[in-house]
Amino acid sequence: MVSGSIVLQSIGFGVVTAAIVAIGAMGFTLQFGVTNILNISYGNILTVGAFASLIVENNHLGLAPTIIVAPIAGAVVTFVLARTVFALFARRQAGTFELIMVSLASSLIIQYSIDAAAQGQTFSFTFPAGKTLHTGPFVFTTESLALIGLAIVVYALLMAALHLTRIGKALRALSVDPKLARACGVPMRRILNLTWLVSGALAGLAGLIYVSNDLTVSANAGLDFLVLVVAAALLGGAGSPTGAVIAALVVGITTEVVAAIGGSYYSQAAGLGILAVVLIARPSSRTIFGATRDEVTV
Amino acid sequence: MSTVFDRGQEQPKGDAAAAERTLLDVLDVRVRYGGVEAVSGASLQILAPQIVGLIGPNGAGKSSLLAAIGGQAPVAGGTVVVDGHEVTKQPAYKRARLGIVRTFQTASVFERLTVFENLMVAGVGHPGASLTRAFFPSAALGAAAETARVEALRVLEELDITGMRDTYCSDLSGGQRRLVEIGRCLMCSPRLLLLDEPMVGVAPHLVRRIGETCLRIRDSGVAIVIVEHALEVIEEFCDRVVVMAFGEVLDDGSYEDVMKNGSVRDAYLA
Amino acid sequence: MSYYLSTIVVYFGVDVLAAWALNIQFGWAGVPNFAFIIFQAIGAYAAAVVSLGPDSGANSFQRYIVGANLPFPLPLLVAGVAGGALALIVGVIATLRLRRDYQAAVFLLIALIASQVVSGDVGLFNGSNGLAAVPQPLAGALSSLSLGQYQWAYAGFTTVVTVAVLLVIRRIGRSGWQRALRASRDDEAAAGALGLNVAAMRMQVFVVGGVIAGLSGGLLVGFITAWSPGGWGYAETFAILTGVILGGVSNDWGVLLGTFLVQIVFIEVPSFLPEFGYPGLIDKLEWIVIGFMWLAVLILRPRGIIPERRYRAKLESGAEDARYKLPAGVGVGGS
Repeated sequence: MVSGSIVLQSIGFGVVTAAIVAIGAMGFTLQFGVTNILNISYGNILTVGAFASLIVENNHLGLAPTIIVAPIAGAVVTFVLARTVFALFARRQAGTFELIMVSLASSLIIQYSIDAAAQGQTFSFTFPAGKTLHTGPFVFTTESLALIGLAIVVYALLMAALHLTRIGKALRALSVDPKLARACGVPMRRILNLTWLVSGALAGLAGLIYVSNDLTVSANAGLDFLVLVVAAALLGGAGSPTGAVIAALVVGITTEVVAAIGGSYYSQAAGLGILAVVLIARPSSRTIFGATRDEVTV
Repeated sequence: MSTVFDRGQEQPKGDAAAAERTLLDVLDVRVRYGGVEAVSGASLQILAPQIVGLIGPNGAGKSSLLAAIGGQAPVAGGTVVVDGHEVTKQPAYKRARLGIVRTFQTASVFERLTVFENLMVAGVGHPGASLTRAFFPSAALGAAAETARVEALRVLEELDITGMRDTYCSDLSGGQRRLVEIGRCLMCSPRLLLLDEPMVGVAPHLVRRIGETCLRIRDSGVAIVIVEHALEVIEEFCDRVVVMAFGEVLDDGSYEDVMKNGSVRDAYLA
Repeated sequence: MSYYLSTIVVYFGVDVLAAWALNIQFGWAGVPNFAFIIFQAIGAYAAAVVSLGPDSGANSFQRYIVGANLPFPLPLLVAGVAGGALALIVGVIATLRLRRDYQAAVFLLIALIASQVVSGDVGLFNGSNGLAAVPQPLAGALSSLSLGQYQWAYAGFTTVVTVAVLLVIRRIGRSGWQRALRASRDDEAAAGALGLNVAAMRMQVFVVGGVIAGLSGGLLVGFITAWSPGGWGYAETFAILTGVILGGVSNDWGVLLGTFLVQIVFIEVPSFLPEFGYPGLIDKLEWIVIGFMWLAVLILRPRGIIPERRYRAKLESGAEDARYKLPAGVGVGGS
């Protein structure tokens, strides 16, 4: 029988996991909401961010560059991918299903390119360790508190940008109805570019955070995390950062609690299980978010 | 002479209780899509085989009501009873097996199949549509499959489309597709046939053909509900007219009576 | 050389079985099963754990469930059943009316999680090290054969199974059930409105595909005598799918050809080339090329990535004319 304090402690861990997942999920859902593409290669962008940081760190360029390079690398790779491969298919009027296959093919290419360059090895990451704090039944390190703080900051910035800036509002309009947005003179190109860059940056950042938590980097790193990120994004609703955060909390806490009780390898299955149950039980979610849009916007 | 239209008369006529059973009893049905209520408490009863026209301005809820009867839309309130069976919560395929069949606003023929294949697919209770029987064909299957094939050929004859038998439906015109759709419905031994704007985009001579086919179907004991905008069609082929507006039934009677009703005219002008 | 050829024959048979299974799910029923490889995997694991005997004594270096010692051909049958059973569970996703890419993403996530669970839970199938020393079927009875002869016997057996499955697929491919499936792919609402239980049909298809996939796994593990998560990553589904789409979805012989080109010509042959770079580099480069091949296939295939060979229905309806003459007087003449 698992003690109550262990469960509470794992809820604390769950919040930390949720912070990591939330950052990734916010980027994913932002991009999904605007472009309507389920971009599986997002997981590999996580890996790109992680490796970029690893390279900078191995060259001892300092903490700040190590952190900054991850979102930059993520943003650049995503942008290039979107403007070349995705745009090519969007021009040919490919639908959402074709685009997910395109993103999977891209995922293979990116993953194995990294794997080939990394020679299939796993690297370890050194991150300055902080202090450990005990508050009640919860155990936090300074890093995990920093992570939670970071997630909150990202969320706040994102929400502010989406609701208070002109371009943010235009982005939300595009998310809801691309045709109408285009007709109203919304600067499509600019917003789409911004979307790819921001979501790529968040992916890269999430990748860095993930490996800083885990301290190992391999070409598979992003993939392990992709499950939780995609589950949270889909659960929270396309294009909704708030939904992504709430879903990330649900998924993160469930994952950690299940891990504490049942074993860590079943934890992610629990996250997916939540998604499956919601999908099956809620008929409205079956035709996905109301409108069954088949077109993509790149 | 036994035609496909005679199958409607297979209902036990000698059974007085069966004769008493209402063919369709829609009671206070509500249909909701998201936050919008498309049908707000509509009721409709059909006692004997007849052709009922369902008319009304755009957005009146006509197609939604049809969908509630056919099983394509979830019923938020009220009941739907067909021939004594309550089908309110049943999925569409179970209702079809009870004899509730329908056509759709855009002709829903299976494009990658031929006309003949379309009819064969529709053989409700057709043994071939089961996987185990696909593996282990039996003599019973063989006989039943032949029966279905004969029926399909008969339907083609009755609708006068035998020549199109092996044409892929993607190559058919709008009116021809409608005929195939109706033919498919006939393969299902229908008790209640729901037609959603069957005449839209159909050439005039085929409109007549479809209308006369409906009359023959009614004469064989099947009730029909037609949603249509073309009032000439309603006037010529329908025994009774139901008017809907804003999700409710406004009037229910003969074409002349309904057209004299002031509120019906107002609803169309609104 | 003889070993090489017999190995190729076995691998090809297994790959073709997998390709046909995926074709049934993806081509016939339109289910984007991006988790396909786990059905082959569970077939392999099932066959292994029912033929390895208990994980003690000689087998104490690995841990796994079950541990029976069933003789040929039972492990193979168990493999098929396992594939079908897993399909019954996972297939619930297939029956949901989800947007297709959404559905595909869920399948993909399932594959990723399956990999994590099996790698992590060491007691299940020995974790990421996987199972080894799986006894080969009839090894005792055929011990008089040399290794080469045994491999050829295995190749012959694989061919027999492949042909048998092909006959089964062709039979059900011509049935009313398959026709109903095709119809439900064209217009699901209309199919339901005609009395077809589309969800049930999709589940049936999924299970049939799962059984064949499991069977292919059982055949493979009996030959290579080992099985680990490294061999069934999520990407493997795409190697199979590339072969299926290249050859023309829904076309049995096309699938065979496409599988031959991708799996044999492209994947197997280079593995016999001399290594360059570091060990394993060729594998990784192959995956990169598969990714590009995938994109090329998506670009070059005309719109409608699932072109279906139009089934010749004339035979069915026309042949009736000779045998069934309608009674005189029925209906008007044909138009």
